[in-house]
Amino acid sequence: MKSAPSHRLRFGIGLALALALGIGLDVLLLAGARAADARVRAERQAIVTLNALTDVVVGAGISGDPVRTAVAAWSKSHPSLAAIRVIAFDGISLEASTDPKDSGDRAAPRRLSREEKDAYDRGQRLRASVETNRQEGAARKEEIEVAAADGGALDLAAPLEKDGEVAGMLEIRTATPPPPAPIPVSTALLYFFAPLAVYAAAALLLGERRAPLAVAASLLLALVLFLFARQTLRILDADRVETDRQVAARVGQETGLAGGLVAPGAAAVDPAKWDTDVFRHPRPGAAATPPGGAERRGRNVFFGVAIGAFALLAFFGLGLAARLGATLSRHRVAYLYIVPAMLAMIVLVFFPFLYGVAISFTQQTIYNTGQPLSHLWVGLQNYGHILGDFAVAKRAPDGSLAFNYLNFYWTLLFTIVWTVSNVTIGVTVGLLLALILNTAGLKLRPIYRVLLILPWAMPNYITALIWKGMFHRQFGVINQVIQIFGGQPISWFDKPFTSFLTALSTNGWLSFPFMMVISLGALQSIPGEIYEAARVEGASRWQQFRAITLPSLKPSLIPAIIISVVWTFNMFNIIFLVTGGEPGGSTEILITQAYKFAFERYRYGYAAAYSVIIFLILLAYGTVQNRVTRATEGL
Amino acid sequence: MSRRNKEELPHSLLHAILLVATLVTVYPILWVLTIALSGKQSLAIADLPATPAVSDRLRAVIPWPESISLANFRSLFTDQPFTRWLINSAIVAAATTLLGIFLAATAGYAFSRFRFPARRVGLMSFLVSQMFPGVLTLIPLYIIVVKWLGLGSTRTGLVLVYTTTAIPFCVWMLKGYFDTIPRDLEEAALMEGASPLTIFRRIVLPLAKPAIAVTALFSFMTGWNEFILAATFMDKENMYTAPVGLRFFVGGFSQQWGYFAAGAIIVSIPIVALFFFLQRYLVSGLTAGSVKG
Repeated sequence: MKSAPSHRLRFGIGLALALALGIGLDVLLLAGARAADARVRAERQAIVTLNALTDVVVGAGISGDPVRTAVAAWSKSHPSLAAIRVIAFDGISLEASTDPKDSGDRAAPRRLSREEKDAYDRGQRLRASVETNRQEGAARKEEIEVAAADGGALDLAAPLEKDGEVAGMLEIRTATPPPPAPIPVSTALLYFFAPLAVYAAAALLLGERRAPLAVAASLLLALVLFLFARQTLRILDADRVETDRQVAARVGQETGLAGGLVAPGAAAVDPAKWDTDVFRHPRPGAAATPPGGAERRGRNVFFGVAIGAFALLAFFGLGLAARLGATLSRHRVAYLYIVPAMLAMIVLVFFPFLYGVAISFTQQTIYNTGQPLSHLWVGLQNYGHILGDFAVAKRAPDGSLAFNYLNFYWTLLFTIVWTVSNVTIGVTVGLLLALILNTAGLKLRPIYRVLLILPWAMPNYITALIWKGMFHRQFGVINQVIQIFGGQPISWFDKPFTSFLTALSTNGWLSFPFMMVISLGALQSIPGEIYEAARVEGASRWQQFRAITLPSLKPSLIPAIIISVVWTFNMFNIIFLVTGGEPGGSTEILITQAYKFAFERYRYGYAAAYSVIIFLILLAYGTVQNRVTRATEGL
Repeated sequence: MSRRNKEELPHSLLHAILLVATLVTVYPILWVLTIALSGKQSLAIADLPATPAVSDRLRAVIPWPESISLANFRSLFTDQPFTRWLINSAIVAAATTLLGIFLAATAGYAFSRFRFPARRVGLMSFLVSQMFPGVLTLIPLYIIVVKWLGLGSTRTGLVLVYTTTAIPFCVWMLKGYFDTIPRDLEEAALMEGASPLTIFRRIVLPLAKPAIAVTALFSFMTGWNEFILAATFMDKENMYTAPVGLRFFVGGFSQQWGYFAAGAIIVSIPIVALFFFLQRYLVSGLTAGSVKG
């Protein structure tokens, strides 16, 4: 530890790790990008073929022998297609097929069989999409379905139109594509070892001088990363040019073929409309796509990787890593004990929390979970919508107030009322029963005590479901009791107030034992002589309670109240299972409302922002609580 | 003595109050027992005639079944997959307890005995994590556990999630208790040449039994009683835990109150027994924890 650190070694290790990180990531990114490009290329070519064949089949009249002839000819000249199927909706028939499964007694033409309902449904989906897009004058629904088949092959389907109506569907399946380009391992290794060799030579020349070593390592790293990135971008660029070339070639090839298959009178063949996206909108031609957005994004990625690599170099080169390592090894026993718990907490608590916070800045819903969060980023918009909406109540035309129960401030208000009333009931009932149970000489005390604690021991979801049953309008016991006394049965969950009462009684029932046990413990620790002395002084019962009992209860009762405020504030099970927010979400507390936004309205981003606000409220409460408890400890 | 009795409230009045309170407390439990023993799925204790008299209504309120039958319990174990759910719950809760104690005891010991960089940060982060709203972490947890780790509908996934739910409280609880154990013993053992691990296992853990009991109870209750996470992660009916299964009987459009009641009793018995067994530790632990909070 005391021996002078070797700067040469540190920068050398830093450079090696930085190169490994930078080049490793770049190689992976390159492989990923090339695979994506290959997919795009295959899909574009397949779509060109699909569109060309669509024109041919429509030109041949969708059904009948001409279609079968055309499809057979098409299939013969396309080894890249594993199967072609033409389905006509009129008669639900398979008009033509080159699928090996459709041979023998299943050969076209025939009616679709029952187990081919999937194919029929697919056709109807496409028909609906085309009609929707036409009505809206927009491209919202995909008019070409592209699905991945086994082994990287593509399975495409397009609608066949006749006289402006979708009258059939064309399906094609491509053959299995060739394996993807291999990762350029040797190039990567060269880029890794060459700079290390150069650095080693430079280090011998420079000796143990920190600044020149840092400059040398940085320059080498920057140069290598720049060269590698440039080469990578060139490869990707070449890929894209090649894609455009191949697609153009495919269009030319299909033009010749289609021209031969379609009778000259039927004019439908239009090669200019073949290179389309899945909405059947023409893609901009090759000339119209200058190396723009995609390349800029590529550069940003490389830039990010480079920053990471430099951070690594600095971390090791400047000795921070060595210092961290020294700290870890000095306290290694302590860290060893903590690592298992900490690791579990990081993976399953802290990381999910941060991920949730990230979601809160997006407009993620159940419909766009496939997209990366950065595409859905909306900044503080969710928070603005939640906190900036003050329309808690509207005046209805007849002058009465109509509350908007989904409004944040309504729910906040309800949560506060819910918490305060529950804690008040809990403390009052619990303290009262504790005082009674503490009476000296009272018989049967242990039995009362055990029975009164039962609600605390019961799992609270069971309690909640029991009370929900007892509040049932028709069969519930509580309405029976009301009717015994001549009252009318009440629909408990139809009005916010009565609904609130059901949850309140449930929670009151299960929460008073805690307060009772706490108070009882504190009461029993008060020495009897104090009361004796007070009585000698002539103090009344009330005076004794105020002067002796309450102050002695304070140290244990205040923490108990603080903790039960948090419990009640977050008492998910009771609200969720008893009232379920009925009627109309009026009896939701914040935590159940957040749950509903996430899992009933599927607005993940909004629900996450809602939850973060709950967290901030609790954090503020915790901070204040800390002050208060410290104050009481000082007493 | 006589003067004191005059000042006290009459015991008969106190008994009256206690009786009313006890009745209100016990009634829902008797109600569940009644439904469970009724042998029917209805949530009414007695069927009412079209125009019920007061006596009929009284009959429908008194928690005593019209006829006692164990049919609900029997078919719970034969017709319904309840045995399977109970086993799931038992395995999950037991594994959560074991793993929870192991992780919390080691971390709590380090936080109590060692001084090292980032100790305070670690302790505070455990505390703050208690305030993370479950809803916020539910979706990320689903992604991590089900999509990344591939542990959807498995007991392992649930055990991992429950353990991390229980860890912060347990760590604080145990750390507080370790703090009260004098260090002399450990130092003496160190002199004798015992390794830190031996000291921890042979000296500290046995001394901390009461706190470990509370930790165990808390972890077990977390695993045994939790239902939202279980409902989210367990898609397959045969992988339900008991809470999810019980809710399945009476949630949505299902109205099998007899099964629910019988199941509720079976599920509650172990936890109530454990609770009474360890109750006094629980109270001291909870208040101690919150004072430190």
